[in-house]
Amino acid sequence: MTTVNPTTPDVVPPLGDDAWLAALTDGGGAGHQALARLREVLLRATRHQVWRLRDLLPGAGAGELEDLAQQAADDALVAVLRRLGTFEGRSRFTTWAYKFGVLHAGVAVRRQAWRHREVPLPDTLTLVDTGPTPAAISEATQLARAVEAAIATELTPHQRRVVLALLVEQVPIDVLADRLGSTRNALYKTLHDARCRLRTALTDSGHLQIRTDRSTP
Amino acid sequence: MTSPARGLSAENIRSLLADTSPYLSCDDCFARLDEYVERTLADPRHQDAAMQAHLAGCGACAEEAETLRELLSHPST
Repeated sequence: MTTVNPTTPDVVPPLGDDAWLAALTDGGGAGHQALARLREVLLRATRHQVWRLRDLLPGAGAGELEDLAQQAADDALVAVLRRLGTFEGRSRFTTWAYKFGVLHAGVAVRRQAWRHREVPLPDTLTLVDTGPTPAAISEATQLARAVEAAIATELTPHQRRVVLALLVEQVPIDVLADRLGSTRNALYKTLHDARCRLRTALTDSGHLQIRTDRSTP
Repeated sequence: MTSPARGLSAENIRSLLADTSPYLSCDDCFARLDEYVERTLADPRHQDAAMQAHLAGCGACAEEAETLRELLSHPST
């Protein structure tokens, strides 16, 4: 699968941030060259991310992975150009650009991996009767039971579905957002609020101790 | 769909009870990710409580941060 090997070297010398911005806003030949160069930067990021996540696509060959990386680089290029005015120089320009490539490649791979899969949206947990157990296992079982009870009683139906899909069924957050017509931001906020409720309930019932070295919900 | 989820594993419980305060949205995490990764590579002791809490609680953002860290650790541009 050498086509998407992330170690593929670049052949162009580095540009400074000011040179990048000047070239990308140039309407002439320098601008065209900078665009091509930016796409190479983004392709390095998308190839690397596709390569890292390739196990999510066990049936995909090198060509399909390369296609995903190329398409993600195109999408990332559009995103970078649209957001160019928001670059504040708090990191190097190439670092700032890389993150768009990484984001778009990750979303593309996860969507592809789940394209034909049903997204489970359970609203309850399967309760497992563990029977007599040693003390340590019994303690863990009690905690699991307390968490299961808190999920059932402390969360709203929406929080319960989101939490179980994301954390128990391991549905990727952007895939779940697509299926629910929601956004990654909104689902993470739901998850955060649900975790706060669970932690409060488990703390109140004595199953969870409040740490004093971190903020608590 | 109302079929029950699987029972909870120890990893499920750890993730369910993760303390993700102070709150940071995925968009805000993305906005700060490049600077955060550069800073932590330059100084592994660099602290950003909101970023650390978010990355501990959001698998997708954490995975993207790790990829960016790898890209910067093996620069070729």
